[in-house]
Amino acid sequence: MVFSSLTFLFAYMTITLALYFVSPLKWRNFVLLMVSLFFYGWGEPVYITIMFVSIMIDYTHGLLVEKYRANDKLARYFVGQSVVFNLLLLGFFKYWDFFADNLLLLGITLPENLTLFGNTIALRNIPLPIGISFFTFQTMSYTIDVYRKDAPAQRNIVNFGAFVTMFPQLIAGPIVKYKTVARELDHRVNTTEEFAAGVQRFCVGFAKKVLLANSIGALWDAQLAAGQAGSLTVVGGWMGLLAYGFQIYFDFSGYSDMAIGLGHMLGFTFEENFNYPYCASSVTDFWRRWHMSMTSWFREYLYIPLGGNRGGTAKALRNILIVWFCTGFWHGASWNFILWGLYFAAWLILEKYVMKNVLAKTPAVLKHLYTLIVVFVGWGLFAMENLGVCGRYLAACFGNAPLWSAVDGYTIRSYAITFLALIVASTALGKWVWEKLPERVQQIAVPVLVVISLLIGTAYLVDGSYNPFLYFRF
Amino acid sequence: MTKAYSRFLTAMFCLFLGGVLVWHIVLPDRDRSDVENRTLEQWPEFSWEALKDGSFTAGVEAYFADQFPLRDQWTVVKARAEQLIGKTEFNDIYLCDDPLYGSGTLISKVPEPDLDLVDKNLSYVDRLQDKTSATVHLGLIPSAAEVWKDLLPAGAPSWDQQAFLEQAADLGLPMVDFHTALTEHAEEYIFYRTDHHWTTRGAYYGYTALMEALGRGDEVRDISSYGVETVTDDFNGTLYSTSGIHWLEPDYMQFWVGEDGLSITSWRSGKAEPAELYDRSYLEAKDKYSSFLGGNQPLCVIENAAGEGKVLLVRDSYSDALAPFLAQDFAEVHLMDLRYYRGGVAAYAEEHGIENIVVLQSIPNFITDRNLVFLAQ
Repeated sequence: MVFSSLTFLFAYMTITLALYFVSPLKWRNFVLLMVSLFFYGWGEPVYITIMFVSIMIDYTHGLLVEKYRANDKLARYFVGQSVVFNLLLLGFFKYWDFFADNLLLLGITLPENLTLFGNTIALRNIPLPIGISFFTFQTMSYTIDVYRKDAPAQRNIVNFGAFVTMFPQLIAGPIVKYKTVARELDHRVNTTEEFAAGVQRFCVGFAKKVLLANSIGALWDAQLAAGQAGSLTVVGGWMGLLAYGFQIYFDFSGYSDMAIGLGHMLGFTFEENFNYPYCASSVTDFWRRWHMSMTSWFREYLYIPLGGNRGGTAKALRNILIVWFCTGFWHGASWNFILWGLYFAAWLILEKYVMKNVLAKTPAVLKHLYTLIVVFVGWGLFAMENLGVCGRYLAACFGNAPLWSAVDGYTIRSYAITFLALIVASTALGKWVWEKLPERVQQIAVPVLVVISLLIGTAYLVDGSYNPFLYFRF
Repeated sequence: MTKAYSRFLTAMFCLFLGGVLVWHIVLPDRDRSDVENRTLEQWPEFSWEALKDGSFTAGVEAYFADQFPLRDQWTVVKARAEQLIGKTEFNDIYLCDDPLYGSGTLISKVPEPDLDLVDKNLSYVDRLQDKTSATVHLGLIPSAAEVWKDLLPAGAPSWDQQAFLEQAADLGLPMVDFHTALTEHAEEYIFYRTDHHWTTRGAYYGYTALMEALGRGDEVRDISSYGVETVTDDFNGTLYSTSGIHWLEPDYMQFWVGEDGLSITSWRSGKAEPAELYDRSYLEAKDKYSSFLGGNQPLCVIENAAGEGKVLLVRDSYSDALAPFLAQDFAEVHLMDLRYYRGGVAAYAEEHGIENIVVLQSIPNFITDRNLVFLAQ
């Protein structure tokens, strides 16, 4: 069940909020746990067992780490064990096929089945449990935070279960680090002000996802198909990359906004996940603004433990490569994602060691342009898993195709207003104008905008489910 | 934000969500949607098996969407919003200027088909000719996207049907030149504005082309010789449904040919039963085009004692508007639909002493139909 579905919006969310707020305060974590398990089980009835196992193991390890804190070696051992468990979970469900396919190319065959206690389990083509990349990272942060004394261990398994399964961020982030919500798990206050703030944030995200991301997504699909049919032009290729970049940004940041909004409604404060990434003035700056909960996770739990940039240039280079290899690979079990990660590692290293002085002297406009080109070409790598398809597409963008066709003119006319809206929404312009408005105007505008986003968004969702049966086909 | 203002926002949001939910629950479930021309999902039956494989929850989501309050109206809101931001394409349908009426006309885009399937379908026609002693004519009807391509938004993509007709001509079979017959009259009302079919007038020009191809062009009746009966002026077709554009002038529909002297047999239910040239009950429903011969069926035969010769049409729904014209001149017009009829085309032609077989299909249908393999059987 995705947030941008009629069932989520009008049935699940409505009933969940009602149940949550009729419950007494001390029951609310329990209610949250139950509705979140229901949410998870809705899409993955079988995988709900993974949730239970994951909760049990990480809960126990948190307590063990705290109990043996005096014996640092033992405490570290338990942290390690919990990290290994989570990585094995992720490795098996997300990466087994990738490893097996690639080892096969080297002539090594991994077993196709596993027999345990007389039951045979197929190991290949297992469907990916939704959100596994997110919740394994969150639970890893838990034991590490407890070890580092950034947060106390959670003694109440219901509270801990509510943290692991919390439905707003369960399937697409932001990656909530335990320490950032530890206090709110135990003591939080629900105020009308916070709920109303959550409503506004949710509606912003809902409009981003349904009105902006979905509508520009169709343009990317068309250009990708043109690329495969060999009718792509240079202009069409760049429009496609632009469309994909906007789609992924508004899809993902819309989802984060909805999660943050839902968090506020329930009384939680999640960290921000995006900060106008397409306004970045360098690639380094872009990664301070894009998917911030993930980059800060990798920084805190991988880059710094590896030694960060201390210990000389060679070590720093090694650490950057490791972190960006992992970042790429985390996004998907496919070579193009690894390539995408390393592509950014290369630009980050260049910016840090080679281009630093040049960039400092470059006019701001050019810096922004350079950043956007690097990032959007990167999206090409990200979007096309098949490296052959990807290569041909990017070659077309860089001149191996006719410059332009009549269809491009049609596309530009059809999407001109959409692009304009996307560009404005990617910058702080809207916020700047908003803050200049008199309070009186804001007060009238908010409810109007909330209603418009809900109404138009619902219209797009219903239309998406509309499926007329044409009588000339059967 | 003051407390009162927060309460107001919160209440508004909760009332909207809760209100729609209550409305959804209270609203009686519908069995089918006329606009979408299909049955709607009902609440799925629960079983542990269905829960485990995910079909139960998927069924609930489909049910929730299908039974959503004001379902049809929401699509209009969406289409209006798209129009407002400069779109001219609505779920693969172009909204075009209409020089005849001014209120606009809808034209279905023909997407790039599976080219292997296109080649295969053409080869099945060729193989039919190898199997039968009757003459096989290839009657491919270009759709409005081709005939009215000047009306499409500038640069709007649609698959090149003219190039396809040239490819089809390379088979060497006799072709029915619908393209010329229709483009010569492109300024007239030959396709419905809200439906993908040709109008009775369009079908008449199709009939003239077909008679020409069958070598009986001199028998074609003059357009002024028909008694025109306008049977409805409130026809909203498939393009109306799919696009969400519900603000165009509805189409009118005409019957030009009377039923006198015709005897019609339909195999709608698998066995022969008497039928009518026009099933007027459809005129009261949404699906008005099906009033021609009563819509899709495996096999239909129109006999006319005053006519001469026999022809077999391997049909799609375009044939239904054309067949009444042919029935005036032929002793027997057979309409066979390969989506339902599996008896073999060549065998049928031989059994009934048919001299001419016409594969009569609209191009968008011919290039996507997966049943044409039965032509060769």
